[in-house]
Formats: sequence, structure tokens, C-alpha cells
Amino acid sequence: MNRALRAALVAGAVAAVGCFVWSSWPPNSRYAPVEVSFALVGIAAWQRWPASRLGLLFSIVGYLYLVPYILVNLANPVAWTIGNLCEGISGAALAQLGLAWPTGRLRSRFECGVVVANYAQNIVFDTAATMVWNPAFSGCNASCPANVLLIGNGSRSAWNTLGTIAALVGLVITGIVLTLIVRHWRSARGWSRRAMIPLLWIAPAVGVENILTGNLFHFPSLVTYALLPLLLLAGPALFVISTVRARTAGGALGTAIVDLEPGASPGRLRDALARALGDSTLQLAFRLPDGAGYLDTSGQVVDPAQPAPGRAVTPVTEASGAVLVHDAGLGQEPQLVRLTAAAASMALEHARLQAEVQAQLEQVRASRARLVEAGDAERRRLERDLHDGAQQRLVTLSLALGMARDRAAKADPELGSLIESASKEAREALTELRELARGIHPAVLTETGLTGAIQALVERSPVATTITAVPDSRYPAAIEATAYFVVSEALVNVAKHARADSAQVLIRKFPGRLLVEVSDDGTGGARSEGGSGLRGLADRVASVGGVLRVDSPPGGGTRLEADIPCP
Amino acid sequence: MQPSAAILIVDDHDGFRTFARGMLEAAGFTVAEAATGAEATAAARTVRPGLVLLDIQLPDFDGFEVARRLAAQAGAPVVVLTSTREASDYGGLIAASPAVGFLPKDQLSGAALRRFLAWAPAGEGRA
Repeated sequence: MNRALRAALVAGAVAAVGCFVWSSWPPNSRYAPVEVSFALVGIAAWQRWPASRLGLLFSIVGYLYLVPYILVNLANPVAWTIGNLCEGISGAALAQLGLAWPTGRLRSRFECGVVVANYAQNIVFDTAATMVWNPAFSGCNASCPANVLLIGNGSRSAWNTLGTIAALVGLVITGIVLTLIVRHWRSARGWSRRAMIPLLWIAPAVGVENILTGNLFHFPSLVTYALLPLLLLAGPALFVISTVRARTAGGALGTAIVDLEPGASPGRLRDALARALGDSTLQLAFRLPDGAGYLDTSGQVVDPAQPAPGRAVTPVTEASGAVLVHDAGLGQEPQLVRLTAAAASMALEHARLQAEVQAQLEQVRASRARLVEAGDAERRRLERDLHDGAQQRLVTLSLALGMARDRAAKADPELGSLIESASKEAREALTELRELARGIHPAVLTETGLTGAIQALVERSPVATTITAVPDSRYPAAIEATAYFVVSEALVNVAKHARADSAQVLIRKFPGRLLVEVSDDGTGGARSEGGSGLRGLADRVASVGGVLRVDSPPGGGTRLEADIPCP
Repeated sequence: MQPSAAILIVDDHDGFRTFARGMLEAAGFTVAEAATGAEATAAARTVRPGLVLLDIQLPDFDGFEVARRLAAQAGAPVVVLTSTREASDYGGLIAASPAVGFLPKDQLSGAALRRFLAWAPAGEGRA
């Protein structure tokens, strides 16, 4: 619809309101609230669904109530007659609106026929009734405008008979229209089905109004003139409900995405979107990696190029290769469709980034573990090289010097003592080299595993230390080395900082993990932050996927616990 | 002084064997040599040494395994384990082995070996 028509409709609605206010207040038309509300909702619906005919239909219904009223009140014979001719058409327009809901289009030729027949019977019966209606029947003689179509003096009985027949025909057509609406609801799925629900309540009410205000029944004027017209407000209510529903769905989409737990599967995303939209038929489909078609989250093949009847396809984003397949009725709410696609896109992008970060984290973890293992292997090699090379040579040198000393001592005591001091130097060098080698990598760990290595550590510890338990089994080298370094570093700290009288070492194997615990009865107050060796130890434990815990209340001793994953 | 016994030096390091042989021969021992665990068990059968000075780190088996094999032989010799490392570097392995003791390589002397021979249980190592 173009801008001029829209402007005209707006102007008409304003004029109608003005007209009511000017003529009398409260307005003496029983349909005044209906007329005005339909006209206003028509404009709003047009604004909301620019591509749909619903806005125009709402407006037409409003004006078809309004125009006859104005014409009849113009005190002009021709206007009065035309006003009477088209008084009933508004009901036909209302039926068309119900049949065209929610897309604005009639669904079949049969329905078009029903709508045309409904308009036609209204015009035919109104015309016939006008021809036999003498305004004098209603008691106004000179004050009423003349009926230009009046045949003779008219006939009240003919008018009554025509009214009864018209009401019966109207009853049949109302029944057909209501049946069709129920069939629309039954065949609709997803969004469209939900959109039909308010109509399902409202249409019978309007149908009842249509029947009751016909000539078949006679009600007190309060019912006929005040209450029944109010039922027609159901029409505008239909628009308000659908608008509120779309708005609610928009809000629910945001909540659904926020509530979606991190790393949720596409299936859960679909469920969340379907719940928020109130469209259980919503499908989220992804392009197959080989590009051969799409699969939805339940594993069904989807062809976005040829959606099933009543279905529509909306791409999520080009990059994600995902599409939403939804009820075609949702196309009525392009804003909501865009919002859904955007929400899906955000969630998918979030999931993709999360998977990427997770993968990177895994890579970093693996490479850290490899670095530590490579470092351990290098230290083992260094220790072995020292042992096989420099240490052996120093031993041999030391022995040679000893022999030289023994021989020289008899002939030349001075030379003897010189060689003795050289021999002593060699032995000290050997001792230092042993310490160095042990610091680089404890051979005992490679040789005997944790049992011997922890025993050796405890024997060298200056603080009285007891071993509560150490398993005899062998574990992967990286895990043994980590457990060893935890105990070694802990005992060094006990000796240096704890001022403890005694310490205890406990290593225990649980299914899937190794628990290493060193505790002392010292001053406590140790912290893993700062520059202490505990930070490095925590890193070392983390490199094999473990956790280091330090419990060291001031004055309460220190308990160091490493929980290491272990097959 | 104990009667001189045959000593079997088991070590893959030529330099050490040479010096040890010189030192022990000077101390009055008869000396035989082996460079691997396999050689050691073979030599023990032919040489029938009173004492085997056994390096823990050998190219084929480790010294503990060789000590077990020697202990299983008839008239098993006294076995003294040795290494450039210290005893504590082997945890409880030395105590658990059938060897009578451990001597750091740099403390090797004829007197030290005689002490081991003297401590050895009666009948052991007296082929």
C-alpha cells in the first residue's frame, strides 16, 4: 500500500474521531469504539507488517463500520440510502479478516468464493430491505431523510421477512467461516498454529455477535446496543495479542541465548530457540563438510533450495553454513526471524570460539607436558654422561694418585704429601660432581623408582622425617619425577624455613591419581605466591595435569599436597 | 693377614680395571677381569674368585642382576658392589641384593677388600 493511501486512512481515522466528538459525546453510534479501534489497529498493523494485507483489512473493516454511520447521519436522502445499503458489509469484511489470518491471504478458491458470496448476500439483502423500508416505520416523518429507493410506501412485513432470511443465510455463512477457521488451525504447524490460537477464541465470539444482532433474536437494548458490539473489539485484540507475542518471543530469544550453558550442542541451541519462539517445528541445519546437502540437528536431511510446503529457510550466517528452517508464517515477522538468526549466529560463533580456545588450551597443555618430559629426559642424559665420563675419570685419577702417593712416599716424602693433596682435591671434585649430578637428576629415581628415591631424600634431610607410605610400583617417568621433586622441594623448604622438629612424607595411589603429601610441625605461613620455589613446583605439578595445594596456617605447620593424575 | 684370594673385577671401564688391577696386585691379590655381566658369570665359574668387585652399571645387565646370578652359582663368591655414585643413590637395592656390601670406587684399596673378605659369612668365598 502506498503512502498516500496510508495518509488518507490516518486522516480518515482522525476525522472520524473528530466527528464523534463534534456530533455528541458519548458517541451515539453503538459501534463507535469498534470503528475507531479497527481504524487505528489497521494503521498500526500496516506499520508492523508492511508486506501484508492485514493492515488494509483491519482498516477496511473499521471504515465499513464508520462510513455507513456517517452517511446515515448526514441528513441527506442519497447519503442516507447508500449508508443503509452498505450497513452490513462490515461483517463480511470481518469474516474475510478471520479467514485471511495470520498471513493476510485467503488460502483457496473456495474461500475466495465464500468471501465474495458473503459480501454479495449482504449487499443484496440490504438493498432489498432498503427498498421496502419506509423511514416512517421508525416513527420519524419529516425529520428523517427520504429513502430514495423506497418502492411505494414500503412494507414492514416484507422488511421483517427479508431480515429473517438474511439472518438465516448469515447463520449458514458464519458456520462455514468458523469451520474453515478451525480447519486452518488444525492444519497449521509451529508458529502459524500458535498464531491461530487467539483467533480460535475470538472468531466464535464474533460469530455469535453476528448471529445475535441479526433479526432472529430480540434482546434487551443494553445487550444489543452496548455489550454485543464490544465483542467486536476482539478483532483489535487479535492484533495486540500477536504483537505482544512477537515482542515476547524476541525477549525470550535473548534470555534463551544468555541461559544457554557454555559449549551447548547445536541440538540444545535449536531447542532453546524453538522454546523461545514457540515454534516446535524449528529446524537448525548445517551444511555437510563435503558440501552435499544439509542435515538438521535431529539428523534429518534438509534441502534449503526446496523447503517443504509451508516451510521457509533463513540462512544463519554465510560463514557458519547453518540455516534455520521454520514455519512460513514466521516470515510475517521479519524482525523476529532476523533476531533468531542473529541469536543462532552468536551462539554458534561462541561455541566455535570456545571449541577453538579449548583446542588451543589442549595443545598448550600437551606441549607443556612434552617440554617438561623433554627437560627430564635431557637431565637424565646429562646425569648419565657425567657418571659415565667425568666421574669415571675422576675416580680413576683419584685411584692413580693414591697409587702414585704410596710409591712416592717411601722414596720422597715431600712428593708423597704433594700427591696426597692432589688426591684429596680429586676426591673433593668427585664429591662435588656427585652432588651436582644428583641435583640434575636423581639416578636413584631411575634405578629404583619412588621407594628408593624418597628413602634417599629422607635420609639426607636434616629434619627428622618419617615415611608413612610410599607405593612400590613404578609409574610413568614424568609422574615419578614430579612426585620426587615435590617431596624434594618440600623437604628443602622444611629444612630452610619451617623450623620444624619433624616431618612426614606420604605417597598414596588412588584409582587414576597419585597423592603426594609432605607435612611438618613447623611455624607454617608458607605461601605458593611470590618468588618461592612453591610457584615453580605448582607449575611442575600442573605440567602433568595435577594440582598443588598448600595448607600452612601461621603457627600450625605446613601441609603440601600434590594431586597428580596417574594411570 | 688373610691368605691372598683371587679377585674378579667386573667393570666396563678399561681405565678403572687397569688401575684397580695394578693396585690389587700390588696388595698381593690375584686378579681377573670381566667387562660385562655375561663375562662375569662365565669368568666366576672358571676363575672361582674369592671376591667379585662388581660395578653396578654394566652394558648388559645391572650389577644387582649379576649379583643374583653369582649367588645362584655353586660355591658363590663374596660380592662387593661398587660405583662412582654413592650407596644412597641406589635406595634399598643394595641392601636387598645378595652382595655383602658396597664400596665407592674412589675408596678402593686392598685393605678395604680384605675387610669385606673378613666379614663375609664363614665358608662363603673360600673356594
